[in-house]
Amino acid sequence: MLSLVDAPTLDALAAARLTGFPGFLRANGFAVGGGDAVQAVQAAQRVGLLDPHILRWSLQALLCGRCDEWRRFDELFDAWFLPPNQWTQPAVRDAGGGTLAGGNPKPRHTGSGTNDDDDEVRPHIAASHDEVLSSTDFRALTERDHALDIEALMRRFARQLKHIRLRRESRARHGRRLDLQGTIRRSVASGGTPFQLLWKDRRRVRPRLVLLLDVSRSMTLYSFFYLRLARALSAELADVHSFIFHTRVTAVTQALREPDPWRAQEQLHLIAQGWAGGTRIGDSLVQFNREHAPRLVHSRTAVIILSDGYDTGEPQILSEALVALRRRARRIVWLNPLCRRPGYAPVAQGMAAALPHLDLLAPGADLASIAAVLPNIIDALH
Amino acid sequence: MIAERMLEVAELQDELAGAGYIAERPLVSALLLMQDLGRPLLLEGDAGVGKTEVAKVLAAVRKTRLIRLQCYEGLDAHAAMYEWNYQRQLLAIKLLEHDDRANLKDLAQKEQDIFSERYLLARPLLEAIRCEVPPVLLIDEVDRADEAFEAYLLELLSDFQLSIPELGTVRATSIPLVVITSNGTRELSDALRRRCLYQYIDYPDHAKELAIVRKKAPTAEAVLAQQIVAFVQSVRRMALQKKPGIAETLDWTAALLRLGITTLDKDGAERILETLSALIKTRDDRAAFPPAVVARLAAAC
Repeated sequence: MLSLVDAPTLDALAAARLTGFPGFLRANGFAVGGGDAVQAVQAAQRVGLLDPHILRWSLQALLCGRCDEWRRFDELFDAWFLPPNQWTQPAVRDAGGGTLAGGNPKPRHTGSGTNDDDDEVRPHIAASHDEVLSSTDFRALTERDHALDIEALMRRFARQLKHIRLRRESRARHGRRLDLQGTIRRSVASGGTPFQLLWKDRRRVRPRLVLLLDVSRSMTLYSFFYLRLARALSAELADVHSFIFHTRVTAVTQALREPDPWRAQEQLHLIAQGWAGGTRIGDSLVQFNREHAPRLVHSRTAVIILSDGYDTGEPQILSEALVALRRRARRIVWLNPLCRRPGYAPVAQGMAAALPHLDLLAPGADLASIAAVLPNIIDALH
Repeated sequence: MIAERMLEVAELQDELAGAGYIAERPLVSALLLMQDLGRPLLLEGDAGVGKTEVAKVLAAVRKTRLIRLQCYEGLDAHAAMYEWNYQRQLLAIKLLEHDDRANLKDLAQKEQDIFSERYLLARPLLEAIRCEVPPVLLIDEVDRADEAFEAYLLELLSDFQLSIPELGTVRATSIPLVVITSNGTRELSDALRRRCLYQYIDYPDHAKELAIVRKKAPTAEAVLAQQIVAFVQSVRRMALQKKPGIAETLDWTAALLRLGITTLDKDGAERILETLSALIKTRDDRAAFPPAVVARLAAAC
């Protein structure tokens, strides 16, 4: 076959195929940018286009950025470059741009309310899978009773949330170490005699807060209360990011920051589809890790999860998602409204899976109990 | 051209093996590509799979210097890039004051002199871009440093230049071969990942580990080496907190040789237990190895 085609034509064909490859990877969830296509072609010119092994290894080094991409690469490379009847496993695809003719695309698991096959055998505890599409009354969000108490408590929380001491230093009036660079600069005015000494001390930064509010059916009693807490806290601090989750995660930061109560309710109305439905904490956290965590969560972030831990998803998924989140975040605190009940033990599947990865599990059913555990939370966040 | 590249890969692979590092061909071709494109290489993988060793052996093969920057929490520009030698600067100012002969023009010159390269202490990053011969720059465990440092690093890695406010911009005289390692204790920024070539290093498979043991511990007999590797491979399959890396395998081999053990078998479980501290490094993991389990593992080798 090869002898029938001139080498230049073959090269051109291969090059054309190659330019589409980064786009195909992007469609499969790789963090590949526009410039990478150029880089890939340049690299391929250096290593030669027609040796499949070298090309594979070089592109793998060039286009992968993290471990999971690394592991999926071979399969995708085969799917893109090998003729359809030679590749063994069909690749998972979710965008039309990169589909191959003759492929047999697996339906992608979207995690949005479809039942898993094996779920039917597992007993349902208090939560269910179904999303509730009926509308929810958000008027309670701005109810007047306790409004002042909630605001006062959150103000106290915000004030006590002292800044984390970093290892990094900055100039300070008094400090541990002499800032020689600054001192010398200052001494120029007095002819090289350092009259005025400058100091360095550890810098302090307030932690960023990410709130994940469980609004599934089992949490109906508490979710409005938590939402009001989140709203009061967002009013106090700038660096607070709130999300609600049930079977998936939705950002509500903007809606909660809306000063006009009516418009806040309206916005929540629009995004609250699935409110008081089933819970899949693990899947929700996986989605959070994928879509929001890279942008939001850094090493000075405290993640606060407010949930009862009743999860219908796989505990394994929850556990793995928390491990991944733990690597990014500084602290993970879990407030559980059921924690205070006499005889409560964290035996709910979700709770048991989550417990080893938490920095603090605290009760939080009402204002009084949150006020009581506030010092512990603040300790845990430092 | 195709054959050429494959030859290059094979050649470098042999050279690396000569320097004591068994590398798979994907890693070797990434090393070649890194030189072609002038891009840094980001190595990820569990602790003890030989990430740092890649940089060391690359420096040995290329017969060039290895400049190492060990990252830690709180690492800042002064420790990583450059610092002024304040003590000498102060001394120079004092000397200048007591110098009666100095005229005005001289003074201006001397003042300039205070912020010149003579008073600059080069830290690893500055040193690396000022070398005549391109060195290997190893930025070890970059995940321990914080995001702010990653941002500094990005500037250096994209333009290979450093700006020093008092002195101006220092451009690279040669572009170093940059190897960055990460243990994955913290997610690295996407910007840094995008800038680098990427290579994930897994625990070695049986054949590769056997080759490493044979290379690094030539006194161990073939049968023993075979057994050691089989044993370690099955230990790695267990659910442990800290899986043994290659360094642990080699340590353990040395320990077994020191005790004069020539073969792993069921009856030698007691003696194997004595040496297991070289392989198992946490208390919880140690509890997973009662004599019965060790005997079973040894019998399976």
